[in-house]
Formats: sequence, C-alpha cells, structure tokens
Amino acid sequence: MGIEKALKLVRTLPRVSLGNIKNSPMDQKKKFDLRRGWGKNKTHGRGHKGQGQRMTLPKLGFETGHKPFYQRVPQEHYYAGHHLKRQYPPLSLLKLQRMIDLGCVNTDEVIDLTSICMTGHYHFDVDKRHYGVNLTEQGAEIFATPVCIEVQWASELVIATIERLGGVIMTRFYDPLSLTALKDPEAYFKTGKPIPKCKLPPTDAVEYYTDPKVRGYLADPEKIAEERVALAQKYGYELPDLSQSDKLSMFLKRKDPRQIFFGLQPGWIVNLADRKILKPKSEYLQEYYNS
Amino acid sequence: MFSQACRKIGIKVSPHVEFKRCLLRSSLCHQKIESNAKSTEHSYSNADQGDSEPTLYDKFLQNPQSVPLITSRKLEYPNKYRAPRQAWLETLSTVEDHKLGMVDLHPDVFAVHPRLDILYHNLRWQEFYKKIDYNWTPGRGDLDVTTRKQMPQKGTGRARNRNRDSIMFRTGAKPLGPRGPKALFYMLPKRYRVQGLCTALSFKYAQNNLHIVDSLEIPEDDPQYIQDLIDTRFWGFSALFVDDTDYMPENTSLALAEFPQYNLCPVYGLNVRDMLKHETLILTLAAVEKIKQKLLFHSHRNRRDTKFTMDKRYDQY
Repeated sequence: MGIEKALKLVRTLPRVSLGNIKNSPMDQKKKFDLRRGWGKNKTHGRGHKGQGQRMTLPKLGFETGHKPFYQRVPQEHYYAGHHLKRQYPPLSLLKLQRMIDLGCVNTDEVIDLTSICMTGHYHFDVDKRHYGVNLTEQGAEIFATPVCIEVQWASELVIATIERLGGVIMTRFYDPLSLTALKDPEAYFKTGKPIPKCKLPPTDAVEYYTDPKVRGYLADPEKIAEERVALAQKYGYELPDLSQSDKLSMFLKRKDPRQIFFGLQPGWIVNLADRKILKPKSEYLQEYYNS
Repeated sequence: MFSQACRKIGIKVSPHVEFKRCLLRSSLCHQKIESNAKSTEHSYSNADQGDSEPTLYDKFLQNPQSVPLITSRKLEYPNKYRAPRQAWLETLSTVEDHKLGMVDLHPDVFAVHPRLDILYHNLRWQEFYKKIDYNWTPGRGDLDVTTRKQMPQKGTGRARNRNRDSIMFRTGAKPLGPRGPKALFYMLPKRYRVQGLCTALSFKYAQNNLHIVDSLEIPEDDPQYIQDLIDTRFWGFSALFVDDTDYMPENTSLALAEFPQYNLCPVYGLNVRDMLKHETLILTLAAVEKIKQKLLFHSHRNRRDTKFTMDKRYDQY
C-alpha cells in the first residue's frame, strides 16, 4: 500500500530529472575530520602527552587488568529466548469460584477474558508478553459451578473439573492488539479505532489450539465431543447431558476465529458518545475484514 | 557519388545523414542479429507504401473494426498481489494523437517503489565507472633536485634541514598527494542496476512521460513532421525513442538526424541517465516485451554477487 501511495504522490511532483536527484540522507557518508581546521593546530585536539595523544588507549571494556564486568557475568543459556516467550498469568479455580460467589462474574453469560478483567481481581499486561488467562488447578476440589468459560491455557484436570459439573471450557488465542481491546473495551472504543481482526496463532501455538484434548478453538468439534467422553472415562465421572439444560443457547455460543467480541464484528467502530456503530462501506475494507 | 546516384532515383539524401545511417546499421553490431522479418522489410523498402504491409493505423483508417482494440494484454508472470498498470497504445503514423488501444504493464517493472536514492546510485555509477583521475603530484623522489644540504647545521638561526625536496620547504614535495592515473571503476551490484531501470521506468510512467507506440515508422522523412508530432502531443523538449533491435526505420532515422534532442535507442542501450535526461520516453510494443522479460528475469535471480567479467556482450544481457 505504501508503494501505491508513493506513486500517487509522484504524479503531482515535478518531473524527475538529472537536476533533482539526491542521495538519501542516511546514506550520505559523514566526512572524516582531519583536525586541520582553525584552532586545531599544535596538539590537534588531543591534549598533552599520555595515551590520548599517543594512540595507545586501551580497548573498550578494559578495567586496568582485573576481570572486567563483561567477563565476570556468566552466560545463562537456560534463559535463552526468555524475553521472546509468551506468558499466561495464572488464575486459579479457587479464585474463579470466589469471584462467582461474590457476584463479580455472571455465570449466565459466557465468561470471557473481558469478564475476568472487569472483575478487578485479575490483571495482565500486554506489554509484558502476557497473552491471556492460564486456568490453574488450585481449587479444583471445591469448584462447584457449571460455567461456560473461554481461557487461553488450561490443563487436563481443569477441563475435567469444569465438564464434570456440566460446564463448557474452550481455549482461544488472541493476538496482542486484540488483547488490548479485550482488556478494557471502553478505553479501546474511546480511541476511535475499528475493532481489530484477530490474527491466527503463531506456528508454535498452532499445535496447541488445534488439539481437541485441550478444547482448542481451531480443533474439530466432533473430535472435541469424543475427547469429552474419553476424559470422563479417564477421571471416572459421568458426563452430564448438556442438551437437556436450559442454558443450551449459552453453551453453544462460539466466536468466529476472527471475532473478538460477541455480537460485534471486526472492522466496526463503536461510538460510545453518540451510541452508534459505524460499519465499513467500501469493498476493499469489507473484503479485508471478512477474510 | 552515392548522393548523386540517389538523386537520379529520386530519394533525398544529405551527406551527413549518409554517414549516420551507416553508423546505425553496421558499426553497432558486428554479427548479424536476427531481427523481425517485418521490420527489415519496412526499413529496406523504398517510398512505395502501397506494396508493403499496411501499418496498424492504415488498417484502422480503412476499417476501424478490423484492428482489434487492445483492451488488455495477458501478462506472462502476473503479480498476485498487485494490479497491472495500463497505458495507451499510440501511433507515430499521424501527427494527431490517435489511440489504437490499451496495453497492460507489469507492476514489478513499471510500478516499483519510487526510490530516488536508487536512481542516484545508478547515476553516480554511470558517471564514475568510466572516470580516470589523472592527477599526479611528484613525491620526494620525483623532484629533480640535488641531495646537497641546503645550509649549515648550526649558525644560520633557521631550522635545520637537508635537501630542497623536503616537505617542510615551500618548494618541496607534497607527501601523500594524488599519485598517477587512478581508475574509479566499480560495478554497482546487479540488483541495484536492475532496480534502477525499473525505478526510472516507474517514474516515467507515473509522471505521464512514458508513451507506448506500435512501431517507430513514420510516413515521411521530413524533420518537420516529427517536430509537429511532438509539439501536438506536448511530449516536451527532448524524447528518447526505444526499439527492440538496432535496425531503425529509414524515415525515422533520417527525420530525427536533424534533432540532437530526439534520439533513437535499442533496448540494450537503455540506461537510467538517458531516461532521465530525455523528458519523454517512447517505447515500441516489442521493446516493452523485451524490457519486461529481461528485467523480470534478472530481478528474480538469486545468484551471489560475483566479480564483474566481460563474458557477455552488451546486447546479450
């Protein structure tokens, strides 16, 4: 798109000729200062005697003989790539149960990342490579609510706990831009930016989110149904029949892999001041957001 | 002698143009290059237009329906993500501007990122690779001067010294001055040269200075015809006509011989400096095909940059 914009701009600019072409400023070589100018006679800006004048200054990092800093600190290969890894700050089942009991979270709706953040009891920072909720096992024995919950990471025991009680758990990936929108939707809508299109997981996460065992959102629904039965058999509980429950419509609610909010599509701009939603009209935008 | 013979047959030939015509045909190519049978017929045929095959414009005049209005041209290797550019197909057969159709241009050649610094590098290369710096200053050994000590070691009140060629003397040598002919030859890496050609073509297209023509043939060898044509179409002060081979039509070469600002060029002679020096660039359809094929081929090659060798001839790239 940048090239098209540049070519459009060029149409209105004067004709490119031999007389108006310059090198890019970053590429222009800095002139080497020979120190022959006015005021640079005698010592040529080097001072008197010593290493400075005689070009025998030591190498960078040298500390007069003892072991320098850059050689004292050992390498930690264990932490290699640590600064690039995704992190999922934990939320225990105990805490989740507490939030439900205190009425912070509405169990009649799908418990989304937004719902969890809005309680005020869970925090995560997108700038610190936090990619969402990791539902942990602590409190599995006292968890007693059938919920429909969408998290980013869950272990087998957690999935078993929730399904035994007649709930539904899904693991779902959000890219950082979508996470900023989900974390505080009101603040995001106030920026005036359109709802982003959620990106697909990176290559090392694809395997996780296409796995039916973890109820990944990209996995085959039929296989997920099979895994539910298998998990029930493994942990020795009877799988409750969800089709009989009155909350069936809630349990069947699913987001499109590109969708972030329920009921809102990517590309829409939510105007809270005027209480309106602006939808893109032009074809290329619709094509982009629907792809 | 030749001009006398020509006058008998009835063709207008001026002596200086004879010489130029020979230049175009013989000295540029040492081997016989395979050229279009059609174009050779045209170039060697005499004034009789009726016998030879009529041009596209003649056909268009006789029956507008017979000439296919080219609305698109199928590109061989289209770019999946970028739409092709379109340009009018014009003709030099009349002074007035008549469009014969529209052709598609490949975006990777004619709509490349308009980078001025790539053009700068190409221009600098074209200037500097031919340069030889002939500056030479004598060193201490080159000065024709005796090795006698100039003045006694002590007693004069002046600084101590030896012979006259010392750098401390006013008339002495310059210590590290330019030493002899220095070649400033260097080869700009191929990708920048290819990109430079694509950038220049993109600029010409984007700024409406690129015109595509079916062929470079004109009905008469009158210089005024070309001048009127260029004035009518506002093609500017200078123009570069590019054909795919170096066999140029007789009428065009005779007419353009009068003008130093309108130049003929084969595809292998296309370069950034000439494209920018001339205000408009006129390419024949055959030239467009050849340029596109060559530039796309070289821009997608992944060969490592090797030292430049003169193994290929100028027209075999």
